[in-house]
Amino acid sequence: MDKIFKLNKREQLLVQFIMLAWVAVVLIPFAAAVFNSLKPNVGQVLRDPFGLPDPWSWGNFAHAWVNANFAQYFMNSAIIAVSCVVIVVFCASTTAFVLARMPFRGSTFIFICFLIGVAIPIRLALAPLFDTVRNLGLLDSLLGVILVQSAAMMPVSVFILVSFMRNISKELEEAARMDGALPFTIYWRIIFPLMKPAIATIALLTFVQAWNEYFLPLIFLQSEELYPLTLGLQRFNQQFSIQWHMMFAGILIMMAPTLIAFMLASRQFIAGLTQGGVKE
Amino acid sequence: MSSTTSKPVHRISYRAVEIIQRNLLLAPGVLLYATFNFIPLLALFQLSLVNWPGIGPKVYVGFDNFTKVLTHPYYRDQMLNALIQNLVFFVVIIVCFLLIGTLLAMLLSVKTWGRKTYQVIFFLPYPMAGAAVAYLLDLFVHPRGPLNAALVQSGLLDSPFPFLGSEDTALITMSMFYTWHRMGFAIMLILSGILAVRSDLLEASMLDGASRWQSIRHVVFPVLGPAFILITVIVMVDVFNNADYVLLIMGPEAGPLRSTDIMGTFLFRTAFGGSADTTDTNFGMAAAIGLLTAIMILPAALFLALRNLRQQ
Repeated sequence: MDKIFKLNKREQLLVQFIMLAWVAVVLIPFAAAVFNSLKPNVGQVLRDPFGLPDPWSWGNFAHAWVNANFAQYFMNSAIIAVSCVVIVVFCASTTAFVLARMPFRGSTFIFICFLIGVAIPIRLALAPLFDTVRNLGLLDSLLGVILVQSAAMMPVSVFILVSFMRNISKELEEAARMDGALPFTIYWRIIFPLMKPAIATIALLTFVQAWNEYFLPLIFLQSEELYPLTLGLQRFNQQFSIQWHMMFAGILIMMAPTLIAFMLASRQFIAGLTQGGVKE
Repeated sequence: MSSTTSKPVHRISYRAVEIIQRNLLLAPGVLLYATFNFIPLLALFQLSLVNWPGIGPKVYVGFDNFTKVLTHPYYRDQMLNALIQNLVFFVVIIVCFLLIGTLLAMLLSVKTWGRKTYQVIFFLPYPMAGAAVAYLLDLFVHPRGPLNAALVQSGLLDSPFPFLGSEDTALITMSMFYTWHRMGFAIMLILSGILAVRSDLLEASMLDGASRWQSIRHVVFPVLGPAFILITVIVMVDVFNNADYVLLIMGPEAGPLRSTDIMGTFLFRTAFGGSADTTDTNFGMAAAIGLLTAIMILPAALFLALRNLRQQ
């Protein structure tokens, strides 16, 4: 497109104006959060929401962190997100390897079952899912939440990996098989290293999804010491709803990790979305 | 592991070992997915036929749950209300996505100053947690919050407007939250559609004397169809099961006066109750509602699945 359409000065100005308008829509709530989180009391937030803080109260963040038990929530979110990434990377890559490379009677059926999971969201089955988790004795445990969230990421991950694998040549594998290599060796020595780019994509998707998940922990966790940040923020909101400056500080703490992950890997992130754009 | 299986001493053929290892590789993923995703989805059918508060014995009631949801005034009215509001929620979001998203994607695809920066900024809200976005925007549009302060100070409004406090505007405000959060996603999908347009076709149309607008309309837009359909389908599947914003801001009662009730909150309330003292929770009914919602989004879901199969 850019080679065809050269904009003259006036058009360029108009385009810039529209772009800046949307930038304002996106950034003004952020900016309001940042400035207001640094104000010393709620009075200043309400009186003059767009004014600069006076004095700048950096202590709000430390205060929120300590008072709201954010260290604990942060830890739980990290445990859930990292475990999900490990489980999904392992389970999805082995499953996708077998489905793509070692077809057998019934493998297409298994693949179709995974495709159904891509299309029909698990939340609709919350009643039977709750029943399953309770029968397994996993209610109110991090393990239960981790397994449910990993399982929810399986279909889309298997799908991405299988599509990726169809485009890798089979020569290396066939040579290895000639030499008598068994599936474990082929998976670990040949397939896993070749799949790394696609694995990075599903790892990133799984991390962000697991970190941001609110609904599944809401259903399966009761004890506050197991809460991830999303539930912690809700608790924090109940306690500090009148203290807006603290609320803004808490919201920013919650946003920071995924924002940093995005800044560091924005290209992979966007690429991952257009490939995995199958599911939100 | 390989030390035990690679020994042919036990007179197991290579083929047999291969099959054992293949099954061992397949097992963890299939078990995980089956237990916590696929079997619960299938169990919807069975659970929808019982009356069960979530604890104690299940009472088989046949299609009673479906009949109740579709005909009994108490449930039917809630269901209709949630369904219609869910449709409104969906339509507002999709119209914003397609209009604003296409405009911004078009502008990002031509030679603009700083378009790389714009692209990153537009995408910024997407990776953030729904919980953080919900509370941030909730405070932002609060009657005593920054947006109302700005509107009143600039003289556009006489008194603060209750965006989320009024029955008339709460649902629309919620769909604006969704739009704010996910717009980057729509822009990216449309942009990748535009970038896939073959530039020789565009050049040819310009050489033939077509105006810019004509080339956009006749060369670019037709190619964007698949991107539009994909966005519509993904958003549809998402908004008919995901009610995080409403649950976070309004709670399961979906106030004010159920004016923000959508299928996700209705389903949640049926299974777990609206408030701590609710007694009429019914997992069987929740399963029936889940199944009905699944049937409603089935065309969209099938479309996604078929599209994925064809990509193979």
